[in-house]
Amino acid sequence: MPVRAPGPRLFHFSTKLKHISAVVHAHGKASNIALNLTPFVDMMTILVTFLLMVFSASGEILRAHQGLEMPTAAQQAKLQQAPIIIVTETQISVLIQDPDSAMPVMKDVAVVQSILENPPPTLKIDALHEILKATYDSIHNDVESGNDKHIGKDELAACSREQEGLPPILDELGHVKHWCPDGLAIVQADKKTDARIISMIVNTARQAGFDKLLFAIKYSGEGPR
Amino acid sequence: MGAALGTGDKKSVNVELNIVPFIDLMSCLTAFLLVTAVWVNIAQLDLKPKGKSRDPSQIKEDEEKVVLSVLIQPDKIWLVQSRIGEQQAIDRTGNPADYWGQFEASLADLKKSAFFIDRSDLELAAESISEEQKVVYQDLIWAMDIAKKTGFSDIGLTDRDGLTAKPTL
Repeated sequence: MPVRAPGPRLFHFSTKLKHISAVVHAHGKASNIALNLTPFVDMMTILVTFLLMVFSASGEILRAHQGLEMPTAAQQAKLQQAPIIIVTETQISVLIQDPDSAMPVMKDVAVVQSILENPPPTLKIDALHEILKATYDSIHNDVESGNDKHIGKDELAACSREQEGLPPILDELGHVKHWCPDGLAIVQADKKTDARIISMIVNTARQAGFDKLLFAIKYSGEGPR
Repeated sequence: MGAALGTGDKKSVNVELNIVPFIDLMSCLTAFLLVTAVWVNIAQLDLKPKGKSRDPSQIKEDEEKVVLSVLIQPDKIWLVQSRIGEQQAIDRTGNPADYWGQFEASLADLKKSAFFIDRSDLELAAESISEEQKVVYQDLIWAMDIAKKTGFSDIGLTDRDGLTAKPTL
């Protein structure tokens, strides 16, 4: 395409729009229309700058679920990939990332209402324990064998430090940089969940081997209101 | 990017940049970033479930030191210190900001005391009574949030029976 002098294009060169041109010319009006693109470019530049600033390349760890509104807190630290115990208003589920598959596996465990009506005497949810135990064994074996295909190098290094009895490495804000995935799980629960359910989940996770729990929160600079 | 030199007049030195490719690129980038944007700032609070693989020496050590136990009930927040038997109750009535503010002040005072100045451990439990009178997860998170803020970063979550020191009426 030849380089042409800039100027109005409508009805003449690339965008002929013959049917509109006929109507416009029929009224004897000038057909040249020059749009001012400057505010558009300004707005796009600001939008791109803002979106680049909030862009996260680390990937999505938590997903939104129906009937789950996360609690807010002012203290915060970065999340890490780990099995997720999800508690919505009605259901308890587990989301496990299969290292050999791109898609995580979601397993429904129990109904909240039935657990509250018939609480297990030992505070252990058997179906949850079964899944968590199998997951713990799989992760534990990977850590023991140093399987760097399933577990990142930073996480394996954190496990070595843990085994040597050394404290974890902290970032500049004083938060743990990398957790050892052995015994690490995330709890993502609805903010209105009964504390009895949380107690049962914590107890079940502990019995399955998960002794480091991360509670997913929505960051808010304000405290309780 | 194409540029039009002059506007027909041989003497003209005006250069007008063709910004169409720039706008195209910006549009694509905006669409991509809007789709991949993270709108909610999600983070985490960490804690350790209390009671796992506790060797006898650890238990003995716990018995010898003063342990701070926090129990959240639907109508009260209890702060109990083991061995010395001191306890404080905060009424959960009125504005949540007020009673959580009191809780924060009490924890900050305890952190300054000789028992906890060089320690960061704390036990936390919640006790729901019924469906109508229950402690919700958000209350636990706020308690953990405030505990971390005041310097008690090593939080052990348990149930009422698992607390080292329980409130007495």
